[in-house]
Amino acid sequence: MKTITITPLKAFEISVEAENISPDKLAPLTLSQIRSLEIWQGNRKRKLSDLFRAEGDDDPAKAEDVTITLRGDFSRVKRIGEGMTAGRVEVEGSVGMHAGNNMKGGLLSVRGDAEDWLGREMRGGRITVGGNAGNYVGAGYRGEKCGMRGGEIEVGGSAGNYLGEHLCGGSIHVHGDAGDFPGAANQGGTIFIGGSTYLPGAEMTKGTITVKGKARILPGYQKIETVAMDGEDWQKYAGDLVENGKGELFVRVGSSL
Amino acid sequence: MIIKGGIVYDPANDVFGEEMDLCVNEGRIVEDAKGEEIDARGLLVMPGGVDAHSHIAGTKVNTGRIMRPDDARLGIEPRSGVCRPSTGYTVPNCYAMGYRYARMGYTTVFEAATPIIEARHTHEELEEIPILDKGALTLFGNNWEVMECVRDKDISKLAAYVAWGLRSARGYGVKIVNPGGGEAWGFGSNVKSLNDPVPSFDVTPAEIIAGLARANEMLHLPHSIHLHFNNLGKPGNYTTALETLELLKDIKPGRMRQVVHVAHMQFSAYGGTSWRDFESKAPVIADYFNSHNHATMDLGQLLFGSATTMTADAPLEYGNARLTHNKWSNHDIELEESSGVVPMVYFRKMLVNAVQWAIGLELALLTRDPWKVLMTTDHPNGSPFINYPEVIALLMSKPKRDAEMATLHEQLPKRTSLGGIERELDWTQIAIMTRAAPARILGLEDKGHLGPGADADISIYNLRPEEVDPSQDHVLVKKALAAAKYTIKSGIVVSQEGQILATPEGKTFWVDAGVPQADMDRLMVDLQEKFEKYYSVRLSNYAVQDAYVPNPKVIRAGIKVEPMKEVA
Repeated sequence: MKTITITPLKAFEISVEAENISPDKLAPLTLSQIRSLEIWQGNRKRKLSDLFRAEGDDDPAKAEDVTITLRGDFSRVKRIGEGMTAGRVEVEGSVGMHAGNNMKGGLLSVRGDAEDWLGREMRGGRITVGGNAGNYVGAGYRGEKCGMRGGEIEVGGSAGNYLGEHLCGGSIHVHGDAGDFPGAANQGGTIFIGGSTYLPGAEMTKGTITVKGKARILPGYQKIETVAMDGEDWQKYAGDLVENGKGELFVRVGSSL
Repeated sequence: MIIKGGIVYDPANDVFGEEMDLCVNEGRIVEDAKGEEIDARGLLVMPGGVDAHSHIAGTKVNTGRIMRPDDARLGIEPRSGVCRPSTGYTVPNCYAMGYRYARMGYTTVFEAATPIIEARHTHEELEEIPILDKGALTLFGNNWEVMECVRDKDISKLAAYVAWGLRSARGYGVKIVNPGGGEAWGFGSNVKSLNDPVPSFDVTPAEIIAGLARANEMLHLPHSIHLHFNNLGKPGNYTTALETLELLKDIKPGRMRQVVHVAHMQFSAYGGTSWRDFESKAPVIADYFNSHNHATMDLGQLLFGSATTMTADAPLEYGNARLTHNKWSNHDIELEESSGVVPMVYFRKMLVNAVQWAIGLELALLTRDPWKVLMTTDHPNGSPFINYPEVIALLMSKPKRDAEMATLHEQLPKRTSLGGIERELDWTQIAIMTRAAPARILGLEDKGHLGPGADADISIYNLRPEEVDPSQDHVLVKKALAAAKYTIKSGIVVSQEGQILATPEGKTFWVDAGVPQADMDRLMVDLQEKFEKYYSVRLSNYAVQDAYVPNPKVIRAGIKVEPMKEVA
């Protein structure tokens, strides 16, 4: 096991791009190498030790044996755990935008909140957020036809707009509410929303969206049947018929607006 | 500057791999010079590359960029040294266009299609492309004034309009894209053959093409008409290609060059009646080029992977959008053109794409005279220009082609003749297809060769032509061509080992053709009416002002100009 703890030296006014904070990048490095890693703040190139204190084990290890603990406020630190394939990143506070972006394996757990683009274009692994997540959780970036393709995202609080936009696989579970247009252009992923939402599954062609709270349903959805799950009745819809879609949408009977 | 001991390929001056020194002074090749020495002992030296057909600037390219933020992510290079940041793969930003061409040893590139009314935008982008000399061909094939002149059989007025259009657009030559089809698309249809009348104009594509070719030769323009055939991209369209070429064979060229240059021939050499029985007709097309001397072509080679199709052939793009369910931009350009943009991915496992891939190579290998065939990918329609080294390596190596074919669809050998072609191009032929021929076809006297007086645009590659066998060592060839050891532009080393060292501003070529005042007066009566009634801009605001072309290189032509001397 290799454990690294990283703490910001101050509150950042200008965002930091920290794609180097991932188990894959830190695993083969000694502490002094980690401290001299390149990190961008705004348009300035800096060393990790200019902005953070890094402590922990000095010996190289495999990525799957690495645990990175991020202590303090990382809400202005972007791209944490980008492209990670194994290991654990445990964040005791909140994370900035693009956390777990293009992640392929391992665990990213955030005790606080996550900003926009959490787990965008994720391929595998697991992300858990204790608080709320911003917009575009598991989505594809601008212009991209495919967002998340695999893995799991769990959000304890609520999520912003465009949850799982262009989802191509994997699953997203939001315990609270989700904003507008969750699962837009879903092409095969699974979304569960514990709370309420607005206009789920626009242009969905494949995949499943389940909404436990209240939801406004798009006119492109057709009622199919009522099904019983977990002792409750759910209305099953098919759509989005605008795209001749084969997606499934489940909303608790009586909850559709 | 003296470039010492290179193995020089300069086919326009009958130099075929001879060891010699090259002298450069004040941006030109000279007999004798002093100063900095560049050691090129044993290395491949050629004139700077010339690309006669590439979509590098203008509204279409920019629409591609706007539609494809996903593409911008693929080629990100941060600012460094003299370079500004680069983005993009199929639709790079302006800076990246210059850097990436220069790294490969290219120094002159022509934008292939600009409507007159959007030429100002094209020149704004061309100005931002560093290093390269450039020019832009101007679209005439669906223009109302052109069609009316053709209908009235008034070739002198048509010539006056072409001259006026080139001057207004600061354009270099006459580009014709799916003549009549772009106008028909305004009414949701297309022209399906050369003799299909254009709605409300009472002219046919055949008449438009022949009329513009005659006007082009009457004006003694340095370049011939540059033609994107009707029915492009459709199975069975090789017959349209042959009919169109037949139509033009008796037209007398105004200069010592071809009468028609065919753009991206690969997209018009298709057999079959549908995508199901789609097959290559490249051998038939190549035979035609082998037995006729009035036409030249560029390949429009397709490579597997990501591309962005962009063309003034709007009905074609509608088809692409329906086929791929991809994003689609459709554009109607007032009285001049229509256009479209659709992102595209060409798949190895898809038989149609594999046949398209083979057709480009067949055309290059079966056409005997390399002066008739330019190596292009119709960037970014067939593939981004950054992949030229791959195309060249394929043309030079039968083993590479065989290895590639083995990974493709099993039906492929039945649909093309590529597997049976033994020919492997040599460095002379490559130098012709990428340097000497494009310069000659475009009518650029100082480009594409290394004789005294030529522009000192030189590329030197990390490759010893006397030791390397391109057939076996195709990996080396591809690697060497991707990053020239030195690229010299107008006597300045702009790139070394793939690193950009200097970013001088390039020139923009345009053609100023003179016509009799009486024809121009007749034309202006028509134009005043059109601008009054239909255009969204005023006639006085229409032409590109000189401020948009800061480094012009004006080539004079016109009715009274004596036929110019043969180029190179």
